[in-house]
Amino acid sequence: LQEEEEGPLRKSSLCPNVATSEGTEPGQGGLAPAFPLPGEWRGKMEEEKVYSQNGVFAHLELLEARAYEAAVKQEETERQEEKLARLKARVQELRLQRDELRAKVDLQQKGQLGKEGAVSNPAQPSARAVLEWKIKSLKAMLQIFYLTGISGKLSKRGVCFCISTAYEGTYLDSFHLDLLTKPEVRIYRHSIPTFIPLQQIAKKYLQTDIRRFLSVLSDHLNAYVGRRYQADQLQEHFSGQIEGTLQRNSLCNLLVFNYNVSSESKTFPFNVRLLYGDPCCSLPTEVVISCTPDAPASLAETAAAHSDLFRRVALHKVFRSFSSAGE
Amino acid sequence: MDETVAEYIRRTVLKIPRDDIKTMLQKWGFLSEAQLETVNFHQIKDNISQDVVQLCEENSADIKQAAVLDIIYNNIYPNKRIWSVYQMNKTGEETEFFDLTDFKKKFKRRLRSALKNVTINFREYEDNAIWIRIAWGTPYTKPNQYKTSYVVYHSQTPYVFISASVLRSNLPLLCQALVVASNYHDIREMELRSHSLNSLKDIVFKRYSQNFQTYCPRPLPERNVAPETVDLRIIQENRNEKERIQRLNREVFGDGPQPKIEFAQYKLETMFKSDPKMDVLDKKEPFRCLIKFSSPHLLESLKSLAPAGMADAPLSPLLTCIPHKARNYFKIREKKGLLPGSFVSP
Repeated sequence: LQEEEEGPLRKSSLCPNVATSEGTEPGQGGLAPAFPLPGEWRGKMEEEKVYSQNGVFAHLELLEARAYEAAVKQEETERQEEKLARLKARVQELRLQRDELRAKVDLQQKGQLGKEGAVSNPAQPSARAVLEWKIKSLKAMLQIFYLTGISGKLSKRGVCFCISTAYEGTYLDSFHLDLLTKPEVRIYRHSIPTFIPLQQIAKKYLQTDIRRFLSVLSDHLNAYVGRRYQADQLQEHFSGQIEGTLQRNSLCNLLVFNYNVSSESKTFPFNVRLLYGDPCCSLPTEVVISCTPDAPASLAETAAAHSDLFRRVALHKVFRSFSSAGE
Repeated sequence: MDETVAEYIRRTVLKIPRDDIKTMLQKWGFLSEAQLETVNFHQIKDNISQDVVQLCEENSADIKQAAVLDIIYNNIYPNKRIWSVYQMNKTGEETEFFDLTDFKKKFKRRLRSALKNVTINFREYEDNAIWIRIAWGTPYTKPNQYKTSYVVYHSQTPYVFISASVLRSNLPLLCQALVVASNYHDIREMELRSHSLNSLKDIVFKRYSQNFQTYCPRPLPERNVAPETVDLRIIQENRNEKERIQRLNREVFGDGPQPKIEFAQYKLETMFKSDPKMDVLDKKEPFRCLIKFSSPHLLESLKSLAPAGMADAPLSPLLTCIPHKARNYFKIREKKGLLPGSFVSP
């Protein structure tokens, strides 16, 4: 369509300001098409040579309208053809089905006449059984997707993702993200806690690489849930070994508490400060253990050993090892 | 013990419903079990409070302990006050290591540097909520324990819940101290207010039930499994319509309980659209109008409007967007169609 417009566009004596495109020859009275047009159009072109000088744009409009009509007609015929092909295919399908069913009926009739009292073919499951099997396998598939941690479902205006978190075999919270896909990918609503830096992660990855976005978000959430689980386990099962309260925060990335260490039949309090520098990690990056000034020097070794332990092993497991070693 | 402290404790105990006094005093932990045993909690409240004050006298309570009792009371009965939500902003991207001691120190220092006569008390709760009680004085008078503001802050979140007292003039000071202590840059008030603190938390922390479409293998809500006594002579003519309404309602409101807010206010600054021949207003200026919806539980009542037949489903998005947009005060200005003015994404 573009080419057709540019072809006839040229300076006309009555319209000195009309822009010309390259490739046309100036000085000709009529409009010369840049390439051969179908027969009927050429005829019409001849007709209107006389009037073209009065309105180049009017002529262009005419051409455009004609081209549009032609395109519409073309589309219509294509659509008809498509429909026809579809219906033909459907007819084929149905014929096949009919043949199959006919064969089945024949078989059954023969079977009934031939061997009465024979066991019906066990390999022919009933329609209901097939349906139940299909439902079961579909549910299993969905369950698998859910267990992988990130599952999604297309919604009316986009996608809804569900990020399920787990820590060492225990399934914990699920979080949801409702995304819109038009005109651009953006978050419509979500159930992500406010202390997870969702906006930052979205700004970095949501538009460019959605897989990475989900993966990073999932890492953050899993790590948070893991840290929280450890702290909860500590408070629940080992509160006897902690002196006072466990100081924590919403992200569970800074834990401070005191516990007692016995040496030479005396107990000394250790103060532990666990800093989780990596938001995607559920183990601390920095461990600071301090003891009272009157503690014996031998405890420094214990402190170092414990510090190393906290850095490598999950918090509640550390205390489990303490209690088992102590008793 | 100071007379004012004694009076304050007495009045605080009087506020507590009689059946809860003992548990609250136990939570307080200032009086020993033995001491509590000596009080008869079945007598009239006046006498109970007198006995309690007596015991506090023995333990020489000071204003700090009395303030703690006050915080405990307000934590258990937060719905007696109106809470506003404030949102803080920051531009940095570093990970937050929220240190409680650091926070408390910075907050106290900032507040005290501007106003010496304040009583500040902190109390932390299991859900990472930090309650701050501030009793305000003036540069020349001691803090008035009956003019208190309460702040509830969850670490590492940008939201603060403030129940200011009568003295709104101290609010900028309070906001500044919060911003400094929590390492944010600025703070602004959201258009969200309610008596129910927990509901406000549910709204901004997105803990309310949003209806997400997922394949999560979660059991479907129990629908009336047992069919109502099927009398074949009764035909439900509007069954389809009823089901449509139920479906739409569920899509909008979700399945669970709604956050509890008591009112929604819409301030209209739109032009009055009338028949030009009627010419009600000769001046072409916006028709100012304030519409306020109030209810003991506004969102639940909105949820039941369509099923009760009092409104068409779906409801206007202006009503249903309240928890999603985290606001219940709206300004509607003249735009192409009725669109609410400046919106905030929570």
